[in-house]
Amino acid sequence: MEKVSSLSELGLATDIHRSLFRPIHQAAPPSPTKRRTKISVVGAGNVGMAIAQTILTQDLADELALVDAKPDLLRGEMLDLQHAAAFLPRTRILASTDYAVTADSDLCIVTAGARQVPGETRLDLLHRNVALFKLIVPPLARHSPAALLLVVSNPVDVLTYITWKLSGFPPNRVIGSGTNLDSSRFRFLLADHLEVNAQDVQAYMVGEHGDSSVALWSSISVGGVPVLDQLASDDNNAAVVMEQEVLERIRKAVVDSAYEVIRLKGYTSWAIGYSVASLARSLLRDQHRIHPVSLLAAGFYGIPRDRQVFLSLPAQIGRSGVLTVANLHLTDEEAACLQRSAETLWELQQKLEL
Amino acid sequence: MARKSSSLLGLANGVSHQLFHPVPDSAPPYPAKRHTKISVVGAGNVGMAIAQTILTQHLVDELALVDRKADMLRGEMLDLQHAAAFLPHTRILSSTELDVTAGSDICIITAGVRQMPGETRLNLFQRNLALFKQIVPPVARHSPDALLLVVSNPVDVLAYIAWKLSGFPSNRVIGSGTNLDSSRLRFQLAQRLQVNAQDVQAYMVGEHGDGSIALWSSISVGGVPIGLGHLANGKKTAEAAEELEEIRKSVVDGAYEVIYLKGYTSWAIGYSVADLVRSLVRDLHRVHPVSLLAKGSYGIPEDREVFLSLPAKLGSSGVLGVANLELTEEEEKRLRSSADTLWEMQQQLDLKVKS
Repeated sequence: MEKVSSLSELGLATDIHRSLFRPIHQAAPPSPTKRRTKISVVGAGNVGMAIAQTILTQDLADELALVDAKPDLLRGEMLDLQHAAAFLPRTRILASTDYAVTADSDLCIVTAGARQVPGETRLDLLHRNVALFKLIVPPLARHSPAALLLVVSNPVDVLTYITWKLSGFPPNRVIGSGTNLDSSRFRFLLADHLEVNAQDVQAYMVGEHGDSSVALWSSISVGGVPVLDQLASDDNNAAVVMEQEVLERIRKAVVDSAYEVIRLKGYTSWAIGYSVASLARSLLRDQHRIHPVSLLAAGFYGIPRDRQVFLSLPAQIGRSGVLTVANLHLTDEEAACLQRSAETLWELQQKLEL
Repeated sequence: MARKSSSLLGLANGVSHQLFHPVPDSAPPYPAKRHTKISVVGAGNVGMAIAQTILTQHLVDELALVDRKADMLRGEMLDLQHAAAFLPHTRILSSTELDVTAGSDICIITAGVRQMPGETRLNLFQRNLALFKQIVPPVARHSPDALLLVVSNPVDVLAYIAWKLSGFPSNRVIGSGTNLDSSRLRFQLAQRLQVNAQDVQAYMVGEHGDGSIALWSSISVGGVPIGLGHLANGKKTAEAAEELEEIRKSVVDGAYEVIYLKGYTSWAIGYSVADLVRSLVRDLHRVHPVSLLAKGSYGIPEDREVFLSLPAKLGSSGVLGVANLELTEEEEKRLRSSADTLWEMQQQLDLKVKS
């Protein structure tokens, strides 16, 4: 196959590689590798590029495709990544405004989304995003019918539902990044306070990503030690009584921290990049790890079976997407919050035309 | 110790003692010996791409960010900290004050003023000099044993300025130089030759930018030297030289193309600098083309105190040695010519620092 590269246009001889390297005697022609991992990222903005760059650094893909509506920006980003070739393992980087470039992806990550215009209602924003996703999801699904779809664009829970509907995929293959990052922020606050590595803090925020997310206080453990139980039973003078007020303040701090970063630097990128790369690793390497991600929550934790809404729940994920949902012990209050979110989202979704 | 964010939210102190207890007769903890601290001055696109790549590649225990814009800086710091659950236990700090860089092993300088339309090159240098006079002396004072790595452009002159202002020995001041240009060249050759770019040995040296020099005589692939005859497919010398020059220009233009298309470059320089950092902190003794004090090398006169990129062995004490390659006469001539140009430019700068 004749390769096209700018050097041929500049006069460099076409057969040099044959004079530098020779195949061994009686070699068979090369067989196509069966295990090339391909990831496509739709949307080459700050979030999409942070995700792409983290995936590259962590060597999670053999091929990375970028799609965006802005051809100049897209080409610039692609070149910037390609120029790092000497420092990266051999990952093929492609980019196009045409979705054909995403064909045969193992994982498609959608970061494209309309930004909220001042004065715009939530519903209006959603309508605009539905229109956008109608352009994105069907070709994506058509070009990679066996792929996993990972939605990052906000409001992630509704947009993941929309993506599921528009793709025609089974629900285990459509996931939203959900509260994976919120949980990271939550774990960061707790870890910083308890002076342990954040990776040893098990703590979940679940439900709707954003203002009404639910912190599962009853399920926090540190190095295997359940926190609330431990502190309640100690007779120590320094024992902490976890007041509802304090817990709520911490939860709000987690939710607000995203807004704070947006207020300070204009957007968030690095943390969501790491967060999504972590999900990509668990999915593509079939890790069976548990992450809180947005998935079809109907039938779980008291959410009625007919409420086809996507909410974040801790789930085991792997190569075929969502494998199972963890069966945690939720308090009545926690379950009630989830059910309330499900109702709100369901009502909102009824107003959308799919 | 830094104030914990959670204490602001009402959680009592001392909670960790209830969750973990030490073994009997433990000695108090002593500081780990291999604590690597890296500071990045300038939290713009380049600085942040460098910071993020260094973090993802697990090259640092403590990372300090400095910038004049307090809000943006804090936002960037928080954004990195929020990824903490996915990272090793790395401390990330930021401040508009340079004292946050104290005790660094490496200080990376990406701060720089942007060229205004119609501004002369000399004027741009003088504005950058004024900025470096504010940055470099305090950085050097706070980390007297550090390595200084200059990324801001024009990198060769600014590396020279950083060296002068810091008072550091020359082996401890480096510019990122043509490390990235060389990567771009290797990428293009690798595509054509269908090999991994990491198996292409090719250097761009000299002045980073339009005046860089491609060492065509020193290219090898998987250890196999590529002669000039190969590259130009047997064409006559003058034509061959022209074609090779086209390739060199396309590598130089690669940067401009990215800037034109997306407004700036970030990812490639991020990986490039992280690659240098790895060799420096881990004392790898690997060879990289970086901007260093070039006087006495390749016929550059002893009185030409200029920084130019040459392939050099890098380690924990900075530049360990400059490679002794066989350059052609033409290549040496170009190096000396670059040295002259830079030297003349530098003469016009006033490097005295008010104490």
